[in-house]
Amino acid sequence: MNERLLDVRSLRTNFLTGGGIVNAVRGINFHVDKGEFLGVAGESGCGKSVTMLSIMRLLPDTARVQSQGILFDGVDLQTQKMKYMRSIQGNKIGMIFQDPMTCLNPLYTIGNQLMEPLQIHKKLSRKEARKRAAEMLDLVGISNPERRLRQYPHEFSGGMRQRAMIAMAMSCDPKLLIADEPTTALDVTIQAQILDLMKNLKQKFDTSTALITHDLGVIASVCTRVIIMYGGLIMEQGYVEDIFYRPAHPYTIGLLKSVPSAGERTQEQLTPIPGTPPDLMNPPPGCPFAARCSVAMKICALAQPELHEVGDNHAAACWLNHPKASHMKGRLEV
Amino acid sequence: MNGSKVLLDVENLQTTFRIRSGFGAAGVHKLKAVDGVSFQVRQGETFGLVGESGCGKTTVGRTILKLYQPTEGKIVYDGQDITQMDQKAFAPYRRKMQMIFQDPYTSLDPRQPVSEIIGAPLTLHKLVSNQAERNERVRELVHMVGLKDDHINRYPHEFSGGQRQRIGIARALALNPEFIVCDEPISALDVSIQAHIINILEDFQHRFNLTYLFISHDLSMVRHISHRVGVMYLGHLVEVAEVNDLYENMRHPYTVSLMSAAPIADPNVARNTKRVILQGDVPSPINPPSGCPFRTRCQYADEICAHVMPQLEEVSKGHIVACHHML
Repeated sequence: MNERLLDVRSLRTNFLTGGGIVNAVRGINFHVDKGEFLGVAGESGCGKSVTMLSIMRLLPDTARVQSQGILFDGVDLQTQKMKYMRSIQGNKIGMIFQDPMTCLNPLYTIGNQLMEPLQIHKKLSRKEARKRAAEMLDLVGISNPERRLRQYPHEFSGGMRQRAMIAMAMSCDPKLLIADEPTTALDVTIQAQILDLMKNLKQKFDTSTALITHDLGVIASVCTRVIIMYGGLIMEQGYVEDIFYRPAHPYTIGLLKSVPSAGERTQEQLTPIPGTPPDLMNPPPGCPFAARCSVAMKICALAQPELHEVGDNHAAACWLNHPKASHMKGRLEV
Repeated sequence: MNGSKVLLDVENLQTTFRIRSGFGAAGVHKLKAVDGVSFQVRQGETFGLVGESGCGKTTVGRTILKLYQPTEGKIVYDGQDITQMDQKAFAPYRRKMQMIFQDPYTSLDPRQPVSEIIGAPLTLHKLVSNQAERNERVRELVHMVGLKDDHINRYPHEFSGGQRQRIGIARALALNPEFIVCDEPISALDVSIQAHIINILEDFQHRFNLTYLFISHDLSMVRHISHRVGVMYLGHLVEVAEVNDLYENMRHPYTVSLMSAAPIADPNVARNTKRVILQGDVPSPINPPSGCPFRTRCQYADEICAHVMPQLEEVSKGHIVACHHML
């Protein structure tokens, strides 16, 4: 279980723009274990999507990606040529994007788009690929797959398009599935269908999955381990129970408090996080959350604490529970 | 809330759109976006309206504000039937009934500074007599929603999503309205920003005794902010109840599956909740199923559901349900 499939070491991604350099991801370390369901959470602009796109090398030319290694299945992706990347994109690493309408080509049939990776990566003949494509559609719960293969994306509903995307991502038996906000554009009932499907497929094929989302409810219902990102950095990571019941970073606590708890309607007000996320063109030298943090100290504005263990497989980047700060007693209440 | 007067009374509201696909008369279809919806909203209350996309909840909100003309039914606001009023007669009601839109990126004019976005309605409705008075009121409104003086002369593109939604709220509040339709006001925003907006809305409700129609698909937020909730499916209201009554004693199979589909931000609760996962998609409102609109996805559906449209009936005080096989 604890074998590492993907191991990312100090990943940095900068974008060169007309107005200056945007430090979207600022040196993060993380890994995905074999067969695990990892959740990556954070607000828009925190760098969660850019992290995944950097690994997949799918960013535009203006992006500069640096790292001390992106080990996937024993190979350092960082040193590989584009040709190698092409051979694993959609093959060993499958990807599902947020908006299925803009990610499917409206000019080709679903069948055409589903068969393409099979013909390229698995070297199947047209006939075999068509058969396999139909099986995949059936697997993701689209009825009458033969007829559906001949249809175009506009003939599919939103939920069905996302199913087709999943079928495409899963068709080459990927070892890692990256799902970037796969259900954000969908209704709750359809979202439940898609999450259920992803969970089942994960069990069936033992694919490792990295799910990017801003919805903590989605994380709570499907993920086993969670990474919380903010301002291009990892603020906290750990098992889902630790993150939700024993959060160690004020940002995580803030996120959890800003959603209403499941229960009676109360007069209790929600506790929003004041302020706005930092400008990553000029990131603050200290903790990116310091300006919005209600328990920020002097040091928080000066230096960013590195991620340190606060429990078993549970790490946080906060000066409050840093090993050098030994005065903290009791649990963090913000 | 029970003692206060009924501010809005919607009776058998229907809104039909004519849709062209193809040529000639054969290409014209009727899409019943709202098909016989009735409910009442009391003064000072928040009425939540939930349902999947395409169920007609936004159309209900827009029809009440007469942005769409209802095909049938009655809208009574504060004792006055406004259904057939022309725009001129309706003008004073425009001041009392406002709207906060879903998308803060498209609902603000990119060519107008904040002072104009918030100030224009003041001049239009003659609530201010001169420029100084208008500036003063704009400043007051901007402060009320938590923005600063130097924001007044900026343009919408200079603001973040949460700040834009605050401007949208300030604009809606400018005319001292009584009733505000909040059409998914938080769904385009980040979680940490959503709570700000909800708190502002709740705060203003207490201060100015506002009445909200809160349209959303976020069931936990609806539970947090609403006093009563109506569940819509394919143009029909299928269940209405007091908020805690609805979330604890839901009777309609659709409500049950909608609620169980909502993700809960608590891993243990989420894992132990038995989910009712609906099969398939919402049917097309151009060609809705006969009888009960939900029967195609309902696990309890049988013969009678295909033939007879279930009527709303009161199952307990203030709790109405339309189903042949209520739970």
